[in-house]
Amino acid sequence: KTCQTAEFKTAEVEVQARHSSDNAAQTEADQHRTQLFDLERESHMHYPGLGDFLHSVEDTVVKELKKNAKSHAFEGFEVNWEDQNETVSCLHALQYSEAQERELQVTSLSWNTTGSVVACAYGRLDDGDWSTEKSFVCTWNLDRRGLNPKRPDLVIDVPTSVMCLSFHPSKPSLIAGGLYSGEVLVWDTSRTQDPLCARTAMSDETHREPVYQVHWVPGARRGDGFSVLSAGADGRILVWQLDSEGQLTLSDGFALVTQQIPRNVQLSKARGDCLLGVTALSLCPWDWDVFLVGVEGGLVLKCSFSTRTPAAVSSPSSGLALRAPAQFTFSSHAGPIHAIHCSPFHRNLFLSAGMDGHAHLRSLLQATPLLSLRLSDSYLFSVRWSPTRPLVFAASTGQGSLVIFDLGRGSLRPAATIEQDTGGKPVYCLEFNPKQPHLLAAGSADGTVKIWQLSAELIEQGQREAAQLEQLATEAMQ
Amino acid sequence: MEAEVEETLKRIQSQKGVQGIIVVNAEGIPIKTTLDNSTTVQYAAQIHQLVLKARSTVRDMDPQNDLTFLRLRCKKNEIMVAPDKEYFLIVIQNPTD
Repeated sequence: KTCQTAEFKTAEVEVQARHSSDNAAQTEADQHRTQLFDLERESHMHYPGLGDFLHSVEDTVVKELKKNAKSHAFEGFEVNWEDQNETVSCLHALQYSEAQERELQVTSLSWNTTGSVVACAYGRLDDGDWSTEKSFVCTWNLDRRGLNPKRPDLVIDVPTSVMCLSFHPSKPSLIAGGLYSGEVLVWDTSRTQDPLCARTAMSDETHREPVYQVHWVPGARRGDGFSVLSAGADGRILVWQLDSEGQLTLSDGFALVTQQIPRNVQLSKARGDCLLGVTALSLCPWDWDVFLVGVEGGLVLKCSFSTRTPAAVSSPSSGLALRAPAQFTFSSHAGPIHAIHCSPFHRNLFLSAGMDGHAHLRSLLQATPLLSLRLSDSYLFSVRWSPTRPLVFAASTGQGSLVIFDLGRGSLRPAATIEQDTGGKPVYCLEFNPKQPHLLAAGSADGTVKIWQLSAELIEQGQREAAQLEQLATEAMQ
Repeated sequence: MEAEVEETLKRIQSQKGVQGIIVVNAEGIPIKTTLDNSTTVQYAAQIHQLVLKARSTVRDMDPQNDLTFLRLRCKKNEIMVAPDKEYFLIVIQNPTD
């Protein structure tokens, strides 16, 4: 059988342009558009037809808004644009052979501001004696091709153990470190000759005991660069400015004296004039005047940079008068605190973790913790909020594992536990990569830094997380 | 006349979950807004381009058809646009709020 359509007509036609012309166009800088929009001016102008337009669309828009607020259509509907990692995997295990030979431990870690370089400091955290052992600061650029995990890109020799490390918040090559001897050094990793670019001179005013915390703080006025803040076992918190001659000059200082600690919480009967060593410190990203300090004995103190009370210590005659910064005391942990971290998503919340294996979720507004979570049978050395998920934080334990906890799950058990395989040695430090939130670096006592890639569910923010965190904070307040 | 415009915008703003309203003119320049300057300028430029593209897509597929409303469902919120010859009304709503 065959079939055929009815006859249909076709025609062939050709087309050609008879005239042509050349033309060019150029855009103006977008500033033009921004300048045109001046809210003050616009509110007084009259737009023809605006009233009619709004009148005509108002009903439709309001109807859609109302429908949307009630709709369940998209509940539980999730779209995945990125590759979903189901599991946590170890991307790199970074080591430095000389440090391994001498069995040095990784005491501190820092990512630089671009998220491509990780630096680690070697030293010892379990030594009681004065140590003159030389140590190192090593950096690896993870984005570089031909990354050799056994060979750091840069090795800086340091005369004693480095206890803490911090990269500059905006200059990707500057890094500050605090030493066991009390010195604070700043290195510039882009310098090939000698990376050391500033150091504190030995004087009456500098730290004489190990410096456990070093951070970059913004200058008092806008436009001032960042200064280096160092805090140590001698109970002093000092702020240094870099000058052009390679010196760190003292620009501000605080001292924590027992008798000046606010008595809103029951304190132990220590001698009134002794200084409390600092073991943990966190700057508050929501209010640059506030900083939190953890001291020997397990106390957490809320401090202020703008305090005017002089500290009850004898200051050197020509030197800077130290001030007493503590304004509020939080109830203590049952042991020294090694880590405090302010939440990047909620202005009043912070975490503190200590040797009692507990992590406390606390609010700046009350002395007792909001939540006390037992994360480990042994000590907790470090705790950090996730930079992308408001309800998630990670902690490192003395047994060699990393614990990731999700407050949204409503369970007392962690969302994930990562074994760092250190043979039971503690993991001392833990840092999320600021630009690539799926990377987590952890340094342990066996001298290795492991870079973990987290699974997607631990990184991607859920729909209402920030609101849930807010709810948690207000409900748990007494 | 001016007061009526403000009243209408207030009524829309008071709906549940509305985070902001922007009215842009035919060139994509914002003329009324309830958000801050920098957010407004960003939204206005981007959404204006998107609406023009959406409209040309609809008309290409069927010249008799035209765009009447555009809704962009996002993880954190929903952006709705009511277009017209001279103005666009952009409303950002978080329906779960």
